[in-house]
Amino acid sequence: MSYILNRILSMLLTLFLISAITFAVTNILPGDVAMMIMGTQSNPEALAGLRETLGLNDPLLAQYGRWIGGMLTGDWGTSLVFKEPIAPLLIQKMTASGLIVLLSMTIALVCAVPLGVWAAVHPNRWQDTASSSAALLGVSLPDFFWGIMLILLFARALHWLPSSGFVDPREDLLLALRHALLPALALGLGLMAHLTRMTRATMTGILNQEFIRVARAKGLGEGTVVWRYGLANAVGPVMTVAGLQVGYLFGSIIVIESLFNYTGMGWLTYQGLLNRDIPLIQASVFVIAAVVMLANLLVDILYVLVDPRIRLS
Amino acid sequence: MKLPAAFRTSKGLIGTGLVIAILLVAVLAPMLIPADWATKMDMRARLSPPTLAHPLGTDQLGRDLLYRVLLGTQTSIFIAGAAVLMSIVIGLPLGLISGYAGGTTDNVLMRLVDTLLSFPALLLALTISAVLGPNLHNTVIAIGIAFTPFLARIIRGEALRVAQMPYVEAARTAGNSDSRLILRHILPNIMPAIIVQSTISLAFAILAEAGLSFLGLGTQPPDASWGLMIQASRDYLDRAPWTALVPGAAVALTVLGLNMFGDALRDALDPRSKGAS
Amino acid sequence: MKRRDFLKSTTALMGGTVLYGLATPAFAATPVSGGTLIWGHSETTQNLDMHQTGTASTGRVLQNVHDSIVTVDKDLNVIPNLAESFEQSADGLVYTFKLRPDVTFHNGKKMTSADVKFSFERCKDPATGAVNFEVFNAVESIETPDDLTVVITLGSVNAPFLSRLAENGAGVIMPEGSGDVQGTTPIGCGPFKFVRREFGNEVELERFDEYWGGPAYLDKVIAREITEPTVRLTGLRTGELHMINDIPADRIAEIEGDPDLQVVSWFPLNWDFVNFNHDFEPFKNPKVREAFDYMIDKEALLEGALWGQGAVTASPSYPTSASYNHDLKQRPQDFDKAKALLAEAGYGEGELSVVFKATTNYPYHIEAAQIMLEWFRMAGVNATIEQLTWSDWLSQCWVDKDFQITMMNFFTLWEPDFLYYSLWNTEGAFNYRKISNPMVDELTAKARVTVDPQARADIYKQVQTIIHDETLDVILWFRNGTIGAQPSVMGLDTIVHPNGSNLNFHRVWLQG
Repeated sequence: MSYILNRILSMLLTLFLISAITFAVTNILPGDVAMMIMGTQSNPEALAGLRETLGLNDPLLAQYGRWIGGMLTGDWGTSLVFKEPIAPLLIQKMTASGLIVLLSMTIALVCAVPLGVWAAVHPNRWQDTASSSAALLGVSLPDFFWGIMLILLFARALHWLPSSGFVDPREDLLLALRHALLPALALGLGLMAHLTRMTRATMTGILNQEFIRVARAKGLGEGTVVWRYGLANAVGPVMTVAGLQVGYLFGSIIVIESLFNYTGMGWLTYQGLLNRDIPLIQASVFVIAAVVMLANLLVDILYVLVDPRIRLS
Repeated sequence: MKLPAAFRTSKGLIGTGLVIAILLVAVLAPMLIPADWATKMDMRARLSPPTLAHPLGTDQLGRDLLYRVLLGTQTSIFIAGAAVLMSIVIGLPLGLISGYAGGTTDNVLMRLVDTLLSFPALLLALTISAVLGPNLHNTVIAIGIAFTPFLARIIRGEALRVAQMPYVEAARTAGNSDSRLILRHILPNIMPAIIVQSTISLAFAILAEAGLSFLGLGTQPPDASWGLMIQASRDYLDRAPWTALVPGAAVALTVLGLNMFGDALRDALDPRSKGAS
Repeated sequence: MKRRDFLKSTTALMGGTVLYGLATPAFAATPVSGGTLIWGHSETTQNLDMHQTGTASTGRVLQNVHDSIVTVDKDLNVIPNLAESFEQSADGLVYTFKLRPDVTFHNGKKMTSADVKFSFERCKDPATGAVNFEVFNAVESIETPDDLTVVITLGSVNAPFLSRLAENGAGVIMPEGSGDVQGTTPIGCGPFKFVRREFGNEVELERFDEYWGGPAYLDKVIAREITEPTVRLTGLRTGELHMINDIPADRIAEIEGDPDLQVVSWFPLNWDFVNFNHDFEPFKNPKVREAFDYMIDKEALLEGALWGQGAVTASPSYPTSASYNHDLKQRPQDFDKAKALLAEAGYGEGELSVVFKATTNYPYHIEAAQIMLEWFRMAGVNATIEQLTWSDWLSQCWVDKDFQITMMNFFTLWEPDFLYYSLWNTEGAFNYRKISNPMVDELTAKARVTVDPQARADIYKQVQTIIHDETLDVILWFRNGTIGAQPSVMGLDTIVHPNGSNLNFHRVWLQG
């Protein structure tokens, strides 16, 4: 328990660091929010007035204090360009992104584990070569390229799935899933390839270990040996790697969501960056970093619960 | 001289072949092909499919995709290489000091690195690129910084492992200074891991450059880079799929080559990880 | 006759809406009420406050929620709207508006003169941050002698005042006291009520049954915000969308040939020009600016960047307006002349280097910049491009005036004072090129106090001649606007506002 407590305490420290870094970096962004709001109609007097109203002239530390205070009390400010309160906006967009991230993680794990095991059970045979080559190709292409190919195939050529857009699952679950499927696949293919390689490596290592040989010698069926003894021991490491990839996924959604016009966190963050909507960038970068950190923490804790030995190290 | 066994597998051979071929293109193409061939437009042959005159077709401004992809190789390789180099230059001392010193120094440095690792690399690179303004050099800096925490973490782990080895202990007892210990005993022993990691990072950096350019925050037109070419192809996908396929294939071949080469390199230099993918 | 030629002959210089695809009898059919129209909108809406929003995209949607005190007919004459009549005193200083008695806001309240006073004063107040606040600069008082009369007194003659009230930016009437909610839930008296916006995704509008101009046909309009052109087109083709605006330029010919779709195309949507920074040493010399003009083949550039979807012009005046100067001709591409002019200015081959800043907000500007770059190089000028996001373009080029050469587009500003004073007067709000030409300054100031329309138009024609002769900017072209729609969408001939940018769904209907 003390291990978990420790982790949570250090998480709070990290969260504080994340907030400081986010604030510092976003504050040196060039461009001016006041200008973005006024567009081509900007003029010096109106701009100066607007800057004052928005509090952009206050000292940095005061602005940081105001920001972090707001984040803690649930007042995440208002998007300067879009005039919407940020907190509900982020929650809504995070749900949208959560859907494709979870979906892609599921697709990746469901396909990668059997493929990896299959390759590990047949080392250096055609099964291994086929699965490893496919996985290698998978990690070698940018995810947005996979996205483009998926649009061409499933939306343009076959008309099976919509090419773009986001539908709220609470309105129409089936339609929401149809819209989420292509972006999730585009995200998941690279991840799947990566996890296949990991599963194969881990399983190969485990299958060469003493206890597997003992199990075989005892006359247990090969299926039982591989799935009951082998895979059970591979789950931990594979889960860890999958958890670490949450960060990678939240980077990829920026590109994928803008490609599929899927209006989630990645899309929102990119819009914020393009429009220099500083409050929006600050809140969304902070939330993404926090979610990634939480996912890693969760994996660590799960890992401890599954494998108590880790507590010693 | 005989090739190490790891390079005599088909994977090792293909990977090495691809890496050499791409490096040759990156170096030779700009010497053999005049630079303006990649930007020369032909308005009568816009979005032309592959023909004898344009073996890989043309883009929306009638520019030859073969020349663009060949001349773009240097841009993409340069950005990826310089970015990885930069992340090593920053990450190596950080990782070494952290792993060797341990204690509070290690704690503080790694807390910082962990914090940075919570920011997805692409998000970090995008933000930095937005801060600095998009151009070739800033793309290198953005990717370089974004990759640094990852490298620092790996190097720290390796340094920690090597620092605890009996012969390092022995050298320490013999009265060697810290800097001598680090430079003479630890660094050479973690070199293989660094080289392997750099090769893999190089592959990721190529993908990152493509992603940044795809979002308009990387290389600037009319210069050719693979990511920029894919980005420009977006509006013409169903009319002219080759405009996306040509640069896509270039990225795939390069990253594939680097990954295979990296795998073989790991097997050759780092016997502990034998069997790992 | 080829389409291009047709467009050119009809538009050589009269604006207009051209429909393709369906046999015209469809328009004779009797309109029916009902149905939800799903529109694939090309841009994301931003701040929904009509006074504060500077983006055409938001104005396009809000056109259906709001109404202005006066408006314009298709020949751009100011005509009554929420005011059933208006008159101007002989000295040009007092404007009296008689309001319609039957106008209801979406909140159920009747419109009165108090609402007009509130709206105009809100726009004038610098604290509001209204983009068109300067329209009211000369206003001394707004009086409301009774519920349906508004009297506005100016301190000095401002010839364009009435015309500027014909668009929602300054002329919109909002219910008194609604200022705080306009940014997120706009209230007006237009044919549609604002229902909700799912940010970045869609805006929902619902028919307002008590609309003073009679209820609209459509139950609802849903504006899906789809910024990717090809994605928008795919949505139209698969039937997910009823209509889209801004068809990708390279696909228009293909869609026009498609019997299952209709295309509305009009002219002009906006106009583009290439800008020189008049503070950048080489561009202080008119010969250098003229040399750059000679490097640009405008027809070829239009073809290259916009696949020919527009018409080249030497004047930025609205094509049908009285102030359009028909005598000006664009300079042809001539590299020898360009090189000779550069040499006269003291720049030999390879001695001049320029950076072209273009914004990714208009992807065709990036294409155009790449094409021009080739020509600049052919004329012996070293040139590079810097791609800027919209916000960076605004801060670097617009506000800090930190650029050498750039390009921009403007929606057709049919009101000539708005156009020429703002853009070319030394004091103009849109003069980001640091242009300072005494003749232009004098003429644009004179036009402001010239009430006679013909005399005013002549002054603006002189201004255009100076802009062209001195190559203050290089005027390129008017760009076409396009809408693609399913055959079931009717009444599309009424959808485009005379300003060429706004879309009005009041008379649009869906066939069963």
